[in-house]
Amino acid sequence: MPSEQNIRTHLRKIDYPGSKHDIITLGLVGDIQVNDSAVIVQLRATNAKEEVLQHLRARIVSALTAMPDVGQVHVHLPGQEQTGSPQPPAGQHKPGPQIKDPTVVSGVKHIIAVASGKGGVGKSTVAVNLALALGALGKTVGLLDADVYGPSIPIMMGTEATPRAGQNKKIYPVEKYGVSLISMGFFLDEKSPVIWRGPIVMGIIRQFLRDVIWGDLDYLVVDLPPGTGDIALTLTQEVPLSGGVVVTTPQDVALLDVQRGIAMLKQVNVPILGVIENMSFYVCPECNHKEEIFGHGGAQKTGFPILGEIPLVEDLRAGGDNGKPLVLADPDHPVSQQFRAIAQRVIEAGDLVVEQQGQTVQ
Amino acid sequence: MPKPTLITPVDEDKQLRILWDDDELSEFPFGYLRGWCPCAMCQGHSGDRNFVKVDDPQLVDIKPVGNYALNIIWKDCVNGIYTFAYLKELSNALEDAAAQPTQG
Repeated sequence: MPSEQNIRTHLRKIDYPGSKHDIITLGLVGDIQVNDSAVIVQLRATNAKEEVLQHLRARIVSALTAMPDVGQVHVHLPGQEQTGSPQPPAGQHKPGPQIKDPTVVSGVKHIIAVASGKGGVGKSTVAVNLALALGALGKTVGLLDADVYGPSIPIMMGTEATPRAGQNKKIYPVEKYGVSLISMGFFLDEKSPVIWRGPIVMGIIRQFLRDVIWGDLDYLVVDLPPGTGDIALTLTQEVPLSGGVVVTTPQDVALLDVQRGIAMLKQVNVPILGVIENMSFYVCPECNHKEEIFGHGGAQKTGFPILGEIPLVEDLRAGGDNGKPLVLADPDHPVSQQFRAIAQRVIEAGDLVVEQQGQTVQ
Repeated sequence: MPKPTLITPVDEDKQLRILWDDDELSEFPFGYLRGWCPCAMCQGHSGDRNFVKVDDPQLVDIKPVGNYALNIIWKDCVNGIYTFAYLKELSNALEDAAAQPTQG
């Protein structure tokens, strides 16, 4: 009969994938039971993904069956404590802490926050057109209006539909222009103000993330309210964001607030995919004179990659007010092309982040 | 900022082991980790960091907080949001054991 000590010695030869540390040192191996030649190895509850555990199970089985006095090998994954035979003595196993996978919005590959420290820079306009531009590039897209106090997505997307209720208090998003939408605006009439304190609003954001049946999305674009308050903090704590897209206007006063928004994202470890400079310049339709109304180069001063510079264009504003965003209303418009280029850069920057984080909890 | 790759609570040893994406391994005795809980209930508002000595601390749950922290839930305190940077700091302090209390 093999000794437990001997089995542990053999398991010490198995390194965790991508690490120089072995599975015994990492504490992955819990209880080991030996009954004649049969060995049961219990793995501890961790945040390790199912496929990693299956891989380790196979390696453990092959390492132990190579031992001369070992017959059958059972590897019990966390949560399987009571299955298989022989049964462990009653009360010996207690389930460890459950470490949940942070990808709580099931089916959503990337969550991208459109943020800015300052109000009125055009976050919602950018979010709407970015979402549609991602859609135009063949991605499945959702748009979450996190501006609970001042929802503007319903108007900009031209829908006042009420989301359908699903089972178990779930909500179906509103579909428009091929984008799945949720907004506080769908639950209010136009004149009702939202007069709520932070904890209620945080609850709404959680519901929007978890109780909305988003389905399979490549991108969930989140239109954040201005500032660094409860809503932004809740979002960054509830879900791992793939990245933040920061919107600013060129003037120094805007930049000051935007730097705060950037600092917040940095503090909570959200990668900043880049900066979009909105209202960058104005070209007179009569004489083609280019006027930099808010100054020049604000976005550059942030030190982050510029995803694009969007000029002040009446069509862009009108598209929002009419509920038919420019990217959709006039795909050939230079600004629409610009948005598709931005979307392409967001895709590339987001993929890079995922590549770099591939080995981590996220 | 390094991030945890593998988080393993080892109840028998009263230890939380964290493998980081830089392949460093931190081994936190429960008592040490519980004692340095960063929440306002444990730390107050004085600005100084206090070690809260707890006999036989019980780890209940660990929840990821966005991209930057773990909410480590103890039987007697559920509020601690330990940022990755703070956990690294605690880990480094532990290595220099003489400088910090290390009740386990």
